[in-house]
Amino acid sequence: MARTRSAKPSTAAPAADTDSIKSKSAITLVPHTGEPPKVFILPSKATPEARIVTLPNPRTSQPARYLACPDTGIYEFKRIAAPKSEPRSWLIEATPTSNESKASGAAGPGSQVTMGSELFVATALDPLFLVLPALADVKASKGSKKPKRLFLSSDDHLDKLPQESSHLSDILRWDATRRLIESRMSAVCDAVDAGDEQMFRLNEDKLLEAIYQKAKRMSEGGLPPSMEDKFVNKVLEAPLMHRVVRTESQVTSNPDSGTSTPQTDSATSQSTVSSAETDASSVSQTSTAATSVAEVQADESIVSALQASPEIVQLQKLKTAFEFICASYVPPELADTLKQSFTGTGGPVDFSLLNDYIASLEKLRSEMLAVRAQDYSRKRNMDEEEDEARMEKKRKMEEEKKKKASESRGVRELKKVNTSGMKKLSHFFQKK
Amino acid sequence: MLEARLEQASILKKVVDAIKDLVQDCNFDCNDSGIALQAMDNSHVALVSMMLKAEGFSPYRCDRNIALGVNLTSLTKVLRAAQGDDILTIKAEDAPDVMNLLFESSGEDRISEYDLKLMDIDQEHLGIPETEYAATITMPSAEFRRICTDLAAMSESVGIEASKDGVKFSCNGDIGNGSVTLRSHTSIDKPELNVDIELTEPVSLTFSLKYLVNFCKAAALSNQVKICLSSEVPLLVEYNLSGSSYLRFYLAPKIGDDE
Repeated sequence: MARTRSAKPSTAAPAADTDSIKSKSAITLVPHTGEPPKVFILPSKATPEARIVTLPNPRTSQPARYLACPDTGIYEFKRIAAPKSEPRSWLIEATPTSNESKASGAAGPGSQVTMGSELFVATALDPLFLVLPALADVKASKGSKKPKRLFLSSDDHLDKLPQESSHLSDILRWDATRRLIESRMSAVCDAVDAGDEQMFRLNEDKLLEAIYQKAKRMSEGGLPPSMEDKFVNKVLEAPLMHRVVRTESQVTSNPDSGTSTPQTDSATSQSTVSSAETDASSVSQTSTAATSVAEVQADESIVSALQASPEIVQLQKLKTAFEFICASYVPPELADTLKQSFTGTGGPVDFSLLNDYIASLEKLRSEMLAVRAQDYSRKRNMDEEEDEARMEKKRKMEEEKKKKASESRGVRELKKVNTSGMKKLSHFFQKK
Repeated sequence: MLEARLEQASILKKVVDAIKDLVQDCNFDCNDSGIALQAMDNSHVALVSMMLKAEGFSPYRCDRNIALGVNLTSLTKVLRAAQGDDILTIKAEDAPDVMNLLFESSGEDRISEYDLKLMDIDQEHLGIPETEYAATITMPSAEFRRICTDLAAMSESVGIEASKDGVKFSCNGDIGNGSVTLRSHTSIDKPELNVDIELTEPVSLTFSLKYLVNFCKAAALSNQVKICLSSEVPLLVEYNLSGSSYLRFYLAPKIGDDE
């Protein structure tokens, strides 16, 4: 499905560089200079003409690397890395049969170990996001509340993107890419024909709809397990009833169960879980333990104080997906207004069900907290918050003590002296 | 690089003892003319100014101006290690982290050495103009201390009234009132007991006794104390150290009805 290469396939210079190091290392150990080789997984459908290019990141407008293919579109690189606590490396084997060594004519098995354990996966990116900052004209609209947008040709729009170290003008020379970008532009813009040119103007309703459709697809396909856990389950999780609190440990001991959401309708919930799992395994993420899911759920139908219906879970997933897209690909200024119009009244989806649920959850949580605070039997396992407050207090006391130790008794006593009627000395003497 | 050798460690010890109850942290500003200190108390109504002239040290060397930021309580702890007749050598680098104090017993058979960590202190310096005071009273420092402590038992503040008849310290407290009057007095046998009053015009001011009692902790430094008064300006209490070195205290007068 995907082929792995040991070096950037398109940029010839770095590849040659690494090869020369490889051949030298057979004789003497040359201190490694320059960047270590990186491991990329490129889509197999990308043509050999595909290039790694620098384009402004849609969110930050900073230059970032993308893979542009004249036929199949634009891909972004996702970095997959082990956490710092688990150091890993790549062992890159350069067999003489591999394409690179043949092409560069390097002889001999020059395998090598790279320090970084990063894996870069190229995933398809909607070119719409790349041109969005230009369409929204974020910089110009700053300050004024309602930006006045003009119908402009696609070139005029694209000129507004940051030009430094951007290969945008180069990839626009590919006809297919230009057509692709323009077709994506027309999806979110009002368009008019002016002579032989098409003029575009951003329509925020269309943009909202486009992103909504993306979010919908993302949420229906199932969010990645880690995301679902943190932004869906955690948010919707009701506090456990205090009397059956022993089962709590069971729930927390299964952190990757993926479904600690309280759900009564096990049939639907199971189906979303399984779809999420298949999705997860296909992108080779940590798979979830399916057996523990059922077990935990059985317990939870007893303990949970409040249960979210599948509709609510779906709404939360949709909201999470939308917020994820906004946070990753949409300029911050635009993202705020989009989020407001998405969740507000008159948006494409009615969130009142979810909002009501979260409000009641909030109430329940504060009640639980109040109950716990009065509960003497829980004295020993105090809340983390209480602990923190206590530590803070202790720290303050210590600081005070230290400060007291550094001032003499006389200084402390002088603080109590009534100095009313006495002017400060700076009144009499000038500051130097 | 600073290197200052003080024949009597007790001088610095007494100076620090006298001011540590007034200020907490202060900078010792070292330059080629000597070691100076200026600091105000927390309420900024009293100021202490010290000058240890280079002549008071043997030898004295200071290439560059150095500010030694010191917590006086900490310095007291180090100085407590000094015996009365020890010789003290203070050393510091040009941009110091620590101040080095070396105590040698006069017989030179015991040497103790301490490094005191320094701190950065932001202090504003006030320019103190030369003032012609209306009244200048020179008196035994022990006598002044006694008057202040006696009156402090009765009241918070003391009125100092200098006239051609003498100088009158008076107070008015909850339990009653009291006053001490001193007249000019010259003794040939014991010049340290002289009381000398120079007056250009009569003056009467009120001061906080708590602060004055605090100043009197410097009485150990000198037999005589000079008290200078003028209306509407801070009181100056000066103790002379050896040579032209001095320790001066300034205190803002109490103005208003709430005596």
